[in-house]
Amino acid sequence: MFKKTVFFLLGLMLMCNVAVAAEKEMKLGFVYVSPVGDAGWSYAHDLARQALAEQEGISAFYMESVPEGADSERVILNMARKGYDIIFTTSFGYMDPTIKVAKQFPKTTFLHCSGYKTADNVSNYFGRVYQPRYLTGMVAGKMTKSNQIGYVAAFPIPEVIRGINAFTLGVKAVNPDAQVRVVWTKTWYDPAMEKDAAISLLDIGVDVLAQHQDSPGPQEAAQDKGVYSIGYNTDMSKFAPNAHLVAAVWDWVPFYLDVVKQVREGTWKAGSFWPGLETGAVNISDFGAMVPQDVRDLVNARKQEIIDGKYVVFSGPVKDQNGQVRVEAGKVLSDQELLSMDWFVEGVIGSTK
Amino acid sequence: MDGFLPYLLIIIPALAAAVSTGTSILYATLGELVMERAGVLNLGVEGMMMVGCLASFLGCYHTGSPWFGLLCGGVAAMGMSAIHGAVCLFFQGSQVVSGLALTLFGVGVANYLGTPYIQQKVVGFASFNVPVLSSIPVLGPIFFQHDAMVYLSFFIPPLLWFLFMRTRYGLALRSTGENPEAVRAAGISPSAVRWSALMLGGFLVGMGGAYLALASMRMWVDNLVSGRGWIAVALVIFAFWRPGRAVFGVYLFTGVTAYLFRVQALGVGIPSSFLNMLPYLMTLAVLFASSLKGRGSGAPADLGNNLKPGS
Amino acid sequence: MSGWRIVSRTEPREWGSVVIFAVAFALSLLICALLLAVQGKDGLGGIGLLLSGGFGHLYSYGETLLKAIPIFLCSLGVALCFRLQVWNIGAEGQYVIGTLGGCWFALSFPGLPVWLMMPGMLASAMLAGGLWAAVAAVLRQRWGMNEIISTLMLNYIGIEILKHLIYGPWKDPAGMNFPVSPYFAESAIIGPVWNPDFWTGIGLSDGIVDTLAQLFGRAHWGILSCLIAGALCSFFLRKGMRGFEITAAGSNAKAARFAGIPYSRLVVLVMFVCGALAGLAGMQETSATLNRLEPHIVVGYGYTAVVVAWLAKLRTMRIAFFAFILAGLRVGVENLQLELQISSSFANTLEGIILITVLAGQFFNDYAIRRKPRQSVPGAGV
Repeated sequence: MFKKTVFFLLGLMLMCNVAVAAEKEMKLGFVYVSPVGDAGWSYAHDLARQALAEQEGISAFYMESVPEGADSERVILNMARKGYDIIFTTSFGYMDPTIKVAKQFPKTTFLHCSGYKTADNVSNYFGRVYQPRYLTGMVAGKMTKSNQIGYVAAFPIPEVIRGINAFTLGVKAVNPDAQVRVVWTKTWYDPAMEKDAAISLLDIGVDVLAQHQDSPGPQEAAQDKGVYSIGYNTDMSKFAPNAHLVAAVWDWVPFYLDVVKQVREGTWKAGSFWPGLETGAVNISDFGAMVPQDVRDLVNARKQEIIDGKYVVFSGPVKDQNGQVRVEAGKVLSDQELLSMDWFVEGVIGSTK
Repeated sequence: MDGFLPYLLIIIPALAAAVSTGTSILYATLGELVMERAGVLNLGVEGMMMVGCLASFLGCYHTGSPWFGLLCGGVAAMGMSAIHGAVCLFFQGSQVVSGLALTLFGVGVANYLGTPYIQQKVVGFASFNVPVLSSIPVLGPIFFQHDAMVYLSFFIPPLLWFLFMRTRYGLALRSTGENPEAVRAAGISPSAVRWSALMLGGFLVGMGGAYLALASMRMWVDNLVSGRGWIAVALVIFAFWRPGRAVFGVYLFTGVTAYLFRVQALGVGIPSSFLNMLPYLMTLAVLFASSLKGRGSGAPADLGNNLKPGS
Repeated sequence: MSGWRIVSRTEPREWGSVVIFAVAFALSLLICALLLAVQGKDGLGGIGLLLSGGFGHLYSYGETLLKAIPIFLCSLGVALCFRLQVWNIGAEGQYVIGTLGGCWFALSFPGLPVWLMMPGMLASAMLAGGLWAAVAAVLRQRWGMNEIISTLMLNYIGIEILKHLIYGPWKDPAGMNFPVSPYFAESAIIGPVWNPDFWTGIGLSDGIVDTLAQLFGRAHWGILSCLIAGALCSFFLRKGMRGFEITAAGSNAKAARFAGIPYSRLVVLVMFVCGALAGLAGMQETSATLNRLEPHIVVGYGYTAVVVAWLAKLRTMRIAFFAFILAGLRVGVENLQLELQISSSFANTLEGIILITVLAGQFFNDYAIRRKPRQSVPGAGV
């Protein structure tokens, strides 16, 4: 009896230990480049942070509007010093600072979004948002009447160019005659200016607007002028209920939960993660009421093909703006080529310079 | 879309966009102009616009009346002007630093207090066509297919001109900017004149902020002003402190930006960093040309100087 | 009020001014605490977090110092211009163009040994920044163009040039088409002051090196340039012929011209010096913290410099003090933001409030409010 009791107690203690280990309070830090109120990129990350913070045993803090460069290193350093377990740095410019700080804090886990460097305790991650971009392009291609689609874009960096290209391939897949016109604003976030950039496209005769900006300015323009729009980052239908067809959206919750779980269990390993539609990290939002059922079916079918690996967005033949073949028939672009893309596909009107 | 014609045709929508995007800058420029004419340099326009922007949003959000919102925006920016007045006119602080501080404070406090309202929408000013006038070819679409605040802004520059040139108050205001001691000798308190200019100018600057929240976006998001206040400060100097030239300067500035967007939309692959530089280069060039002609800039002689207390 | 009047102080306060600053500073912190309380946060606790973040730990000082270096250098130059009544608000653009000048050298001659690279790179940065500033000076003296607007416009143009280069010809071919330049060669990177190998190498004990390491943190050798520039500036202003001329011409340009002081040449000179200092600041910041050119080097130090110069009343030691305080506040407010999870806009609000109150407080340095003397006792109480 005595033995049994001892074993029972020992077992109980062991279980408690395991339970304690499993429930170790994880402290997460998020570094954002813009204010969370931007309705865009940082907002999408912060939605995930809030969802994580509601989980048992996780506390998640953020720092917003952290300038890239020298200041970001201090912010990351500060989080590491305060004993954060996992630090997510969510802008390209945080890449070198993250690597530098990670060297000094080998026990802390770092995840850098949208760059390309890794270290023993630094992963980089991004989402294949070009996949939903392609799908939204199909919707735009089906819904345009003038065959002129506008795209308000922030800066000519690979991420944005890749999105425009995928979108255009989607447009072309269902409507070979349509063109995508690009206007660069050289801002990530200036709602009024981005709205005017969108209007400038409408003046040319565009009747569907897409955007790669963090503000809802282009959506507003579409709503005002009675044309259709395609959102980005999050479901933007609340800004433009009559215009919003669909949006390419981020959902970081599953990916982040997975990281937390792995780190807690000690199975996490640094690497490059580029989750696509199959993980739910990127997706398309609900369709607007004006999108007809046959278009929805078409897009959903293609979505399933991408998820099942039966269709790859950048599969040849793909020509560039000058008609030169960039991807041969039967080939697909490598991740490396996608990451450093600096040319437009056929059908884009605009310049990458 | 080949040929020369499309580039000509987009001038009309570009000018229309210049008028609508220029309106907020126009109000702010005229407001700053009034203050500077009285000799008060106020670099806090950016912050004042932000505060006006938030206040107008809140006013409209809670009452549903854009006109009440506009009033709130103007009054709130007047409050910011009053801080500038207290620091510079009463406490003899530097006008340059006080203005910079006002910008920091205004931008910060508006975003801070506005956080709970992010992405909320308001009724705002809707655009409507002015009967008859809007159907005039060319001029109609450029000037008469906007919202009430745009139409209102057409009346401000002539009113200011009248105020400056045809009223005794205007004379006192201009003289205070040139030579406050002479004004004092004439039995008018230059300090009172400067306070009144700060209030009037502050209200106008606040209207500029209000335009962004009530007419341009009709919702609250972070940092709506995004540097327009600074452009207004520059445009006052570009305008040589004259209301008419201010109108020209504002529409030129926004017109170039609007036109360049449309040129891009047509598919011209000009390197856009040069295009982005163009408005600033043009401002410099116009200033340079006027300087070459030997005309002075017309800056109020006592601009930026504090009144000596107790003298 | 009628029984009181404002009079100029004939003698400036000495220790009194420190008290006034402290009172104004404390007052502004109280206002901020109130603002925090408005959104349901612990106001006084927040102020504690602010101060401990900026000045509370050994490592806070290194970060504060790092941030103070570019502010100090820019401000020193701006103060020189202000002494001459030249309202140069273009330190921002000069910072950018100077950086470009330095980067051009560092990227063009990567093979140079450090003793050629460093002077070459820094001189090239100073020259570029100085010439950029001199443009505005010449426009002002030769054609009477208002320097406030020309320097402001040149700021925007400078930033556009940076963007053009970094998105175009200077883009790193190995950088995945991101807007970054190639990394500088080892010889072009300004190292941190505390590099432990160096200090243990000259015989310091491990304990001291460790403490030093914490204290200096990421602060780099640019500190040295601050010391040199500060010392040179205050020496020449006091002892040098040019310094005397600047002081004289600043107080009365017309009289100075009659006295044979070459006013125009002086304006060009101080603008050049200011641009050179701003360019130096930019290049050091870029080389030491980013190790390559990125668009994010522009963070508004040029405008901060104007504020610091004014707060310091253009005096060198005070510029150092206020640069350090402002840098510390910016570092500290991050701690407050993180711990209380408040909007980043609070940082701007805080700085604005502090500036406004401190500025208003300076009134009591220069003026006194006295009771009006009674008619029967002429001269009393003045």
